[in-house]
Amino acid sequence: MSAAILQARGLSWGTGGVTIVNRVDFSVARGELVGVIGPNGAGKTTLLRLMAGILMPSAGDVELEGRSVPSMDPRSRARRIAFMTQDIAQVFPFTVMEIVLMGRYPHVARLRPETPEDHERARHMLSYVGMGPLEERTFNGLSGGERQLVLFAKALAQDTDVLLLDEPSSSLDIHHEDRVFSMAQELAREGRAVAASVHNLAVAAHYCSRLVLLEKGRVAREGPPELVLRSDILDRVYGTRTVVAPSLATGSLTVSVVPEGRQPRGTRVHLIGGAGSAVNLTRELTRRGCALSGGIAHEQDSDEKLWRSLGVPLRAVGAFARISDEEVQAASSLVEQADLTILCVFPVGVGNVGNLRLAARARRLLVLQPGPEEAPRVLLTPEARALFNEICSRAAVLPYEGILAAVQDAASG
Amino acid sequence: MPHHDAAVIRSRAPVFLIVSLVLVAAALLGVAVGAVPVPPTALVRLLLHRWGIGGVGAPERRDIVILLLLRLPRVVAAILVGSSLAVCGVVMQGLFRNPMASPEILGLSAGGSLGAVIAIASGLAAQAAFAIPGFTILGALVSATCIYLLSSTRGTTSLLYIVIAGLAMSSLFGGLTSALLLFSNQYQVSQFVFWTMGGLDGRGWQHILVSAPIVVPGIVVLGLFTRELNLFTLGEQEALALGMPVELTKRVLLAICAVVTGVAISVGGPIGFVGLLVPHLMRFLVGPDHRVLLPISALGGAAFLVICDLVGRVLAPPFEIRVGIITAVIGSPYLLGLIVRIQRRDAVRAR
Repeated sequence: MSAAILQARGLSWGTGGVTIVNRVDFSVARGELVGVIGPNGAGKTTLLRLMAGILMPSAGDVELEGRSVPSMDPRSRARRIAFMTQDIAQVFPFTVMEIVLMGRYPHVARLRPETPEDHERARHMLSYVGMGPLEERTFNGLSGGERQLVLFAKALAQDTDVLLLDEPSSSLDIHHEDRVFSMAQELAREGRAVAASVHNLAVAAHYCSRLVLLEKGRVAREGPPELVLRSDILDRVYGTRTVVAPSLATGSLTVSVVPEGRQPRGTRVHLIGGAGSAVNLTRELTRRGCALSGGIAHEQDSDEKLWRSLGVPLRAVGAFARISDEEVQAASSLVEQADLTILCVFPVGVGNVGNLRLAARARRLLVLQPGPEEAPRVLLTPEARALFNEICSRAAVLPYEGILAAVQDAASG
Repeated sequence: MPHHDAAVIRSRAPVFLIVSLVLVAAALLGVAVGAVPVPPTALVRLLLHRWGIGGVGAPERRDIVILLLLRLPRVVAAILVGSSLAVCGVVMQGLFRNPMASPEILGLSAGGSLGAVIAIASGLAAQAAFAIPGFTILGALVSATCIYLLSSTRGTTSLLYIVIAGLAMSSLFGGLTSALLLFSNQYQVSQFVFWTMGGLDGRGWQHILVSAPIVVPGIVVLGLFTRELNLFTLGEQEALALGMPVELTKRVLLAICAVVTGVAISVGGPIGFVGLLVPHLMRFLVGPDHRVLLPISALGGAAFLVICDLVGRVLAPPFEIRVGIITAVIGSPYLLGLIVRIQRRDAVRAR
């Protein structure tokens, strides 16, 4: 990491006897986009305000290239550090352009009007954030998201080396959230130092080069997203059960919250799936409080991953391994204990025909029928076809809604 | 909220022209109208005669006395007081991001009045010409200090509480003013009305000579802080982030406001609603940018008070209705309307 431009050591601040930020070390270097994450009340906004020099630390110091920020002349400080707040309560009908021009304040000579360059910069930044067409509109009349983009433009108009953004996307849709963070990344690449507090951990993981996780005013962990976003530490800091997994679409980490393990209400359901065919039912039945079990799955299969992350008891064999009779035997206890067994829609071939044998042992079997817009069930071998027909003769073949209704009946009956 | 204001803001130059013309017309009428009719041209003739232009003959001697010693100082006093109160209203509304702030609502006027009455009751006013302005300034400064301390306590003091605190101070100081007047031996009904409602009758050059050298530079200095006032409307944290020394600026502006308001009150008494109403009307015409709003409010405040004074003089001759009563009659319904509008806007925003 290159040398930090803005660096805080032992930073503390409190109010009303409550310590909000507690001996925090924090730094941002040129070229970095640092994400400050943490639960509500962890001190993210306060930390950024301290870094910006608009709150005076009760202990510790913030230095901008060796100069103490709290003792800097406000004007020269504002030429180096910009702080973007989440929203402002503007009561007077200023236009969007007037608001953005206020960002030029530290650069405009006293008692002089803004120069054409100031106007140029403000206009440029407004179009950069996509708000150019709204420059004559009244700031108060904009939506929360539009106001946030205007405030972003104002911070950019300030033209500083350091940009501190307080939840810059809290009111934005996903498109504009992506825009704002892409722009923040771009600004970092230009050689500015950018730090942002972020609520959405997936966004933080996707865009930030480094994360700082705050917990009750202290740094709980710091480093690249892969090291900070770990379930063990997130679970403790956020007080919930999380699953961290790379996104299939972008490869960056996503963090999901596991539904609180509600006390299962009686009905035990065993799911026989594969290739992700059981994902929807798993989620819905977990939500409804069923006690699930699963298998026989293949390792690294998406059903298997989901079951493991949810703590669902399951049987699994190695990836692409053939399901042996011994495995069927071992898994049958799960099936026999279950009130209901559901056979999901997945292709059956030589390797996993054992799952049909397992289904045959169910106390009560429901066979999921593919919906009209879904691919039909694929049975690759004559053995699989014969076995499936035999199973169906003794089972209820139901569409998705029918399955859910049957589970409901079993629970109430 | 409709987006009509942008177009309105663009039409600033004509607004300046129109308001200036209204002021000039009102001033000429103010000089001409009264118990003894003096033609509006008399003042122009007098000026031309004095400067020796075009061989214009002097107006009648009686007219000259009425013009120079009675009506002109009264109009000039109205201009000074109107400008002062309107500009202080603009500054306080910007400073506290509150369209309901003004010297009278935040208690500066009542503080000034109390100061004046103390000067009278203690007998100091009879001894020194500067006692009344000195004490009105002091009274306004006491109020301003209270408001400053309230608004700078840690945490977010709600802007509504500042208004309520100002009203509370106004009531307290107003009550003390009434009590002092009732118990003082200089008690007269006219003085009671003057120091509770304000008026411009009997204002002469001696009042203007004392007040103008303070009020005019005061307004000019306030006019140097218009960009800072714009920043204040973003909120103090934002202003701080943009590099403005917020506390210092706030102290300076409030202190100047207290001095200007105090002097204005020493001339006209606590004339109400000018500082609230004029900034609003002007904001509606030119938009919220203080660099435009403050100078136009200085002109508008002057015109407004000259007109109100004129109305008071012509409404029920031979009696004069005090200008403070006229502004109150116009201003109170306006304040109520303003509250309704703000309520509606908040209701829209809350949706």
